Amino acid sequence: MGDVLAEGYNVFNTNKSPEGVIKYLGAPQDVIGLIQSGKLGEHILLVRGGTTTFLAPALSMGAIGVITMSGAPESHLGILSREFQTPCVMTAYLTSSDSRYVVGETDDSHFEEIARELDGKRVRLDCTDHEVGRVVLAD
Amino acid sequence: MTATSEHRATYKQRYQDGDPGLRFQDLTYVGNFKGQEPIPDGILGDRMIRSRAKSGVLERVGKEDVLRDQFTIDELNDLNNYLAWNIWDVLVMRATEGVSGMIPRQEYEILAFMHEFYRWPEILRMTTDEVGAQGIMDIGASARREIGTKVNAVHDWCIGAVGFGMGRCGLLALEAIGPDDYIEESNEILKFMQRVLWGKRQDGYILNSQDRYRCRIHEQDFLDSIVNQVEHFEPDSPPHQAFTRFNAAAELLSFLDHYDCRLGLGDTGPYELADGKLLILRDLFVNEEAFHWSDVCDDQGLPHCYTLALVIDPDLMSLEEIRVNDISTTFTRPKNYISAIVGGAVFAREKWNTPMAEVYNIPVADLGEHLPKVQNATLKLYQKTSRMNRRDLIWNGQYVYYVDMILPHLRLAGTYDKACKDYQLWEIDQRVSNYYYDITKRGFAQVTVPQKIFSGEGYLPFSDGADPRRSKYRWL
Repeated sequence: MGDVLAEGYNVFNTNKSPEGVIKYLGAPQDVIGLIQSGKLGEHILLVRGGTTTFLAPALSMGAIGVITMSGAPESHLGILSREFQTPCVMTAYLTSSDSRYVVGETDDSHFEEIARELDGKRVRLDCTDHEVGRVVLAD
Repeated sequence: MTATSEHRATYKQRYQDGDPGLRFQDLTYVGNFKGQEPIPDGILGDRMIRSRAKSGVLERVGKEDVLRDQFTIDELNDLNNYLAWNIWDVLVMRATEGVSGMIPRQEYEILAFMHEFYRWPEILRMTTDEVGAQGIMDIGASARREIGTKVNAVHDWCIGAVGFGMGRCGLLALEAIGPDDYIEESNEILKFMQRVLWGKRQDGYILNSQDRYRCRIHEQDFLDSIVNQVEHFEPDSPPHQAFTRFNAAAELLSFLDHYDCRLGLGDTGPYELADGKLLILRDLFVNEEAFHWSDVCDDQGLPHCYTLALVIDPDLMSLEEIRVNDISTTFTRPKNYISAIVGGAVFAREKWNTPMAEVYNIPVADLGEHLPKVQNATLKLYQKTSRMNRRDLIWNGQYVYYVDMILPHLRLAGTYDKACKDYQLWEIDQRVSNYYYDITKRGFAQVTVPQKIFSGEGYLPFSDGADPRRSKYRWL
């Protein structure tokens, strides 16, 4: 296994190990733009929330992998990524940082740091463990 | 694939007396039981909290108990405590999901909670007056011979858990009410919930968590007519992929049409089939005519509901526990049941009141014609939603909760039009309208209320000597 950049909840255990360039999506227009670019399948999607609606069309159109900075497998996005069999790591945190997400106590700098460190990196998702999903730097 | 020693389900152990079930999370619950042993999730949690009840309302109850109009204070407090734990049990992990980036859900939720607690009691009382207590139980019982009905676990649960539990909790947190205000109204809401759920289950319980997370409500001959239409396939085969992809896409649209909430999804089961497989019946409400934004679903020709029969091989996934929880959602350990689906059937119900005889089967081979409609509606609805301003998003979402949670019951009672016309259902109460400006202050919607709701600290009990007839008479 390569360098593990981030870890989080593994939504469901799967041998699928999608690889792509992480793309941080901050607004609905980013989601629409990515779909219209025709390059959805080239990216692992990084989003802040664990809700479904924000990524709805991307999931429906075939997103290959998702990383969230909050939420759990019981969250709506967790449920839907399982249904789509799209590997998904939720409440991901940087292995190089001590900052962790706590509901109601985490400020924007936590999310900004994760987006800054991961956006644009080529990674693959390792979702073979029952509980922990890993974001691994691709060779 | 056949079952081997490496692939052997153990989930039936969960149904043996004394089995505590698995833990699906590490957190524990305290609520109103400070100083006592914390309560976990799952079967053990249900057992522990029921053992602390002062009344028998959380055990199997008889029809005469349900027909009685008035709960005692002990019964109200036991229901309050149980619902608070149940809410924590099904939602505490979901509640970590943070901001939507699309729909301000926490904001619309808290407004809906409070609106429901204020407005529902007289509408539910009117409905009970119109059809009688037995009529309310019959509405629940109607779900035993139907698919594509919103008289389901999540809607029925929401009457009490959301309208009473979270609504009262939010107003207590806002200090708009005290613990002994609106007792009569609380009774009205909880009686309505109990009658619908008891009529639906008919085993004496009202909630799936009381029955080890089973929601086996359908009559056997009705189930047989569904099972007879199931198509069998191998995991990862083209029909398996077509079926599961359609399931996911329709489920996603059902969530989006209901503003990212669980009201679009309704699971029942698990039903054990003759060959040992498990059946989950899943309603996916992809086009709710009550919502004006569903016009994009109309444009694609989508029905009110797709119902999927999912046949799961428990041995194939070495199933250890399966829960159909009280918000109509299936969770398993191991988590990935999709790969163990070995059969399925799809049905469509065009309108909410389409007779069962006119509900039609869609062969798996034909799902390719329906999937693009679902995907197009999803993209159109997403684009439409992304152009809405914050206020519209919040009040639209508020309506999804406040109206849709009781809509199926009012429809079947024939009181929906009366609720709209005579009780101004779709108008927003001035008190709640004013709360719109308060909920963003000091983190009320995003921190205070979720903390009160999901820690269980906000569900204050009624006083032992409180008068069950009490409403609210003083604003001091």
